[in-house]
Amino acid sequence: MLRKEQNDLLTQTGPGTPGGKLFRSYWLPALLAEELPGNDSPPVRVKLLSERLLAFRDSEGRLGLIDEFCAHRGVSLWFGRNEEAGLRCPYHGWKYDVTGQCIEVPSEPEESGFCKRIKLKSYPLVEFGGVLWTYMGPPETQPPLPEWEFAKVLDTQRFVSKRIQESNWLQAMEGGIDSSHVSFLHRGDLNSDPLFRGARGNQYNLSDSRPVFEVVESVGGLYIGARRNAENDHYYWRITQWVMPSFTMIPPRGNHSVHGHFWIPIDDHNCWTWSFDYHPIRNLTEAEVAAMKDGKGIHVKYVPGSFRPLANKDNDYLVDRAAQKAGETYSGVEGFAMQDASVQESMGPIVDRTRENLVSTDNGIIMARHRLLRAVKALTDKGEVPPGVDPAHQKVRSAAVVLPRDQAFKDAAKEALLARPGVAPASV
Amino acid sequence: MKDDKGSTGIEGTHPSSVDPSSVLRPPWSVSESARMASDAEARFRIDAPNAKPKRVKVIALDRPSEAVVKHLARKPWNGAAFFTASAFAGEPPAGSFSMQGWLSDLAGRTKDLIDVVDTADLVVMVATAGESAQAAALIGEACSLKRITTTGLILGGASATDEMLSKTLSQMRPWSLMLVIASAVDYIEDMLIALRA
Repeated sequence: MLRKEQNDLLTQTGPGTPGGKLFRSYWLPALLAEELPGNDSPPVRVKLLSERLLAFRDSEGRLGLIDEFCAHRGVSLWFGRNEEAGLRCPYHGWKYDVTGQCIEVPSEPEESGFCKRIKLKSYPLVEFGGVLWTYMGPPETQPPLPEWEFAKVLDTQRFVSKRIQESNWLQAMEGGIDSSHVSFLHRGDLNSDPLFRGARGNQYNLSDSRPVFEVVESVGGLYIGARRNAENDHYYWRITQWVMPSFTMIPPRGNHSVHGHFWIPIDDHNCWTWSFDYHPIRNLTEAEVAAMKDGKGIHVKYVPGSFRPLANKDNDYLVDRAAQKAGETYSGVEGFAMQDASVQESMGPIVDRTRENLVSTDNGIIMARHRLLRAVKALTDKGEVPPGVDPAHQKVRSAAVVLPRDQAFKDAAKEALLARPGVAPASV
Repeated sequence: MKDDKGSTGIEGTHPSSVDPSSVLRPPWSVSESARMASDAEARFRIDAPNAKPKRVKVIALDRPSEAVVKHLARKPWNGAAFFTASAFAGEPPAGSFSMQGWLSDLAGRTKDLIDVVDTADLVVMVATAGESAQAAALIGEACSLKRITTTGLILGGASATDEMLSKTLSQMRPWSLMLVIASAVDYIEDMLIALRA
């Protein structure tokens, strides 16, 4: 459980909140690069950390993320004309550049300099690894660009998607570090999903349904190890990475791609679930990419024209009670992503953590909250840079390994837990 | 990749070939999931206790951990009880071996390990990296016998080397369903609060 004030501290991320200050310490994924496909393409509304923003790529390819509303009469610049190196409000023609600086007010004499006094709030927006990233904190503490391995490989080695999740970011993220739910909620999918099936490790999962967990602090977050019995006095270890505040990386299976998530607050009741797949040493196959686009693995099918999952709370997640009864799906909901989202959204927009009853296997969640609360306090009280901001903390990998029983995974798999360009992931 | 209509608010835009009429319901037909997961519905949640207090037994396995556990014991808890096995952290006494001599409360009174375990829902063993955690085997054996869940907590700290940690880990691992290596002592308190100890 968490006390109400602790729950509020971690779940509220709007401007001026301690939790919001924490998120504003990091580069955050804001849009897929394909959402702004070319110069002068239509602007896109972006809501992040409870701030209404607008993203656009101007005539010269520069990226901007600015306050959504015109400084004149509050019109949404989503209706704006993206042309001639700026975004022009359609109401009275005020024009802004990618920094939010007003560069033209047609009704005022140019020589008056009036437009120079008008500037919308803006944040940097940079393209890296198929994603447009933003940093929403104070300019003086802007960290170096992120170093996540999935974003550094060739485009042909990577697939990234995002979906709206209609819940607070924290309950979504906590699902990503709660390894013990896999044996229930996702039972049945390990051997059927094309992006998971066929790995030797799956058999360890299925033959030992009572994993034992080890939670170890890392410099940027946590290693969460789940061990199962393997042959000849060995353990099969699946080691998940959590890097603050909301990055997780799931241990790989066989030669399948490696995948993971970011959970980024839209506001306190909604978040973006970012999902990436990549392989460090090979291109993704056409079949893999086709499966990802078809919503397999950790991805989803969409309601057309949106990033809302096709199975969503308005259609009861297309729950299939016959499939549930037949054992094809454990909850009646199809696919890893929506199996997770459906149960997490059912908790309500912000789960009341004062009423929960955690057990010993929830120590990954308990430790993550502990570290987040500690980081918020250190940032608020002393201005300490939180873990996970330093790009060195981001050069990590998850791993699946078989180790002798007397070896600590943190030591024996030390190399495997680091991103190493050109080296295959440790996988079983 | 993007359609030419621009964005639709925070949902953004995305290509898809699925017929929307097959999945979208008319607005008057809001699904049960949508209604019941709303913020407005949260006020109808039943406001009554949903669990009985857990009986958590916290056992320090060595002298440094004993100091931590003693400090914790002074705080208000929902029935958590605190013990130490630090006096018995070395080799088991030769000759007359008894489970009764392996535990004491923080006032120094000897306790019967089986009795302590038998009345627990969860046993938390606290060890310090580099110290002997041999008592974990006996406590773990007793918990196994009584089918009681165990959690092992190893206090790492900045000064703990990998070798020190490995030594303690190897003694704790066989007897802990959940093992946590924490760098800060205050984690134990947060964990016990989270577990409603």
